Amino acid sequence: MQRFRTVEPLEYYRRFLKENCRPDGRELGEFRTTTVNIGSISTADGSALVKLGNTTVICGVKAEFAVPPTDAPGKGCGVFLSVPNVDLPPLCSSRFHSGPPGEEAQVASQFIADVIENSQIIQKEDLCISSGKLAWVLYCDLICLDYDGNILDACTFALLAALKNVQLPEVSINEETSLAEVNLKKKSFLNIRTHPVATSFAVFDDTLLIVDPTGEEERLATGTLTVVMEEEGRLSCLHKPGGNGLTGAKLQDCMSRAVTKHKEVKTLMDEVIKSMKPK
Amino acid sequence: MSLPGHTKCRTEYIRPKTALLRKIRGSRSRALPDRALVNCQYSSATFSTGERKRRPHGDRKSCEMGLQLRQTFEAAILTQLHPRSQIDIYVQPLRGVVSLQVLQADGGTYAACVNAATLAVLDAGIPMRDFVCACSAGFVDGTALADLSHVEEAAGGPQLALALLPASGQIALLEMDARLHEDHLEWVLEAAAQAARDVHTLLDRVVRQHVHEASILLGD
Repeated sequence: MQRFRTVEPLEYYRRFLKENCRPDGRELGEFRTTTVNIGSISTADGSALVKLGNTTVICGVKAEFAVPPTDAPGKGCGVFLSVPNVDLPPLCSSRFHSGPPGEEAQVASQFIADVIENSQIIQKEDLCISSGKLAWVLYCDLICLDYDGNILDACTFALLAALKNVQLPEVSINEETSLAEVNLKKKSFLNIRTHPVATSFAVFDDTLLIVDPTGEEERLATGTLTVVMEEEGRLSCLHKPGGNGLTGAKLQDCMSRAVTKHKEVKTLMDEVIKSMKPK
Repeated sequence: MSLPGHTKCRTEYIRPKTALLRKIRGSRSRALPDRALVNCQYSSATFSTGERKRRPHGDRKSCEMGLQLRQTFEAAILTQLHPRSQIDIYVQPLRGVVSLQVLQADGGTYAACVNAATLAVLDAGIPMRDFVCACSAGFVDGTALADLSHVEEAAGGPQLALALLPASGQIALLEMDARLHEDHLEWVLEAAAQAARDVHTLLDRVVRQHVHEASILLGD
């Protein structure tokens, strides 16, 4: 059976899909077990580790000072309020080589940047310390430790969980020296306005949609689709990088599944954060 | 010798968490005809230190660490069994010390990297001569200390990083900086060696347990 899987992977998969299930025992619309661990990296201002089945992504957020650009000092205290970076190092999968970031890493980084921008997780004003002079910049670094498909969902979740964990100290500008004074004793959480949750699908043979593809399924799929949903069914971002076409009805189907996923993820995150509160 | 001669040993590796991958990949241009090429890369996460590191790859410390790891593992891996192939070891510490200056020798990181790499190489099934267990040691206030914490390292005393092949007692790598009187060297070396042997006991137990569990799963 294993030999058949290696020699004819697509046929192997088709046999399972005909029975409406997948080799790892999941149904077509079932997600893998998700585990979240928040706040494990003490050197980062906020961190989270997310595991979607075998796919493992860790997100570390570090906050630094920056001078906002002079063209929009009042409205937005900084165009680059957050700088996300997704790193797919060779240790996560043999597909990646060491060296400058490959195509997939860059696409993932841009996707995360789009999610942050579109869903306005954080208001620019919240990161402003002194209008026109000083603002916070959040460097969000996501590292994939194990690649088994569905990297975008894991990254989005890790980013959200890490941002919820970030605590920024109070900063005041000394009038005389015009230097920033940081009060490390007084820290406050970020004001997270929305909770975007990504749900990825893989398309098989032009018609069949499966949710949360593993690495092998992604390789065999003819197309992929990622839907980013916020609260109350608000669509934040839709990412369909080519692949074969989808009908409007199928797209609606995907979106309703994304709404369900959003509820599940939000519940999980609230549980984890509640369990950390006594700290 | 008028030294108290007692050593303090602490075997908690709270600092770097490392994740590794190792694979054999044919690399034709640099392939050696009679043995495998060992390639180690060290890259720390940008959030792993107090100040965000802007260049996690290719800087001096990463290159030096990669080279030290390579030299350590070339001594331990039976490279003759895999000619014309390449073994890649990638190490990624996720959490480091709170404030790390670039020029500061970090024996603790090196030790954690080596121990994690040993487990990973064993997990990959690459044949090794022996476990490679490492530990750092130092000399503070007339006492030899094993497994230095960040505070102890910052105290400025001599520091020693030791990688040991426990069964034969052979030293794979030994690196020391700052001045130390030769009379004290034996104590410090013994402290590091004892700690490394303790690590070996731990690693051995973990590996055996893992194999035991895996064989149960396969048996089913």
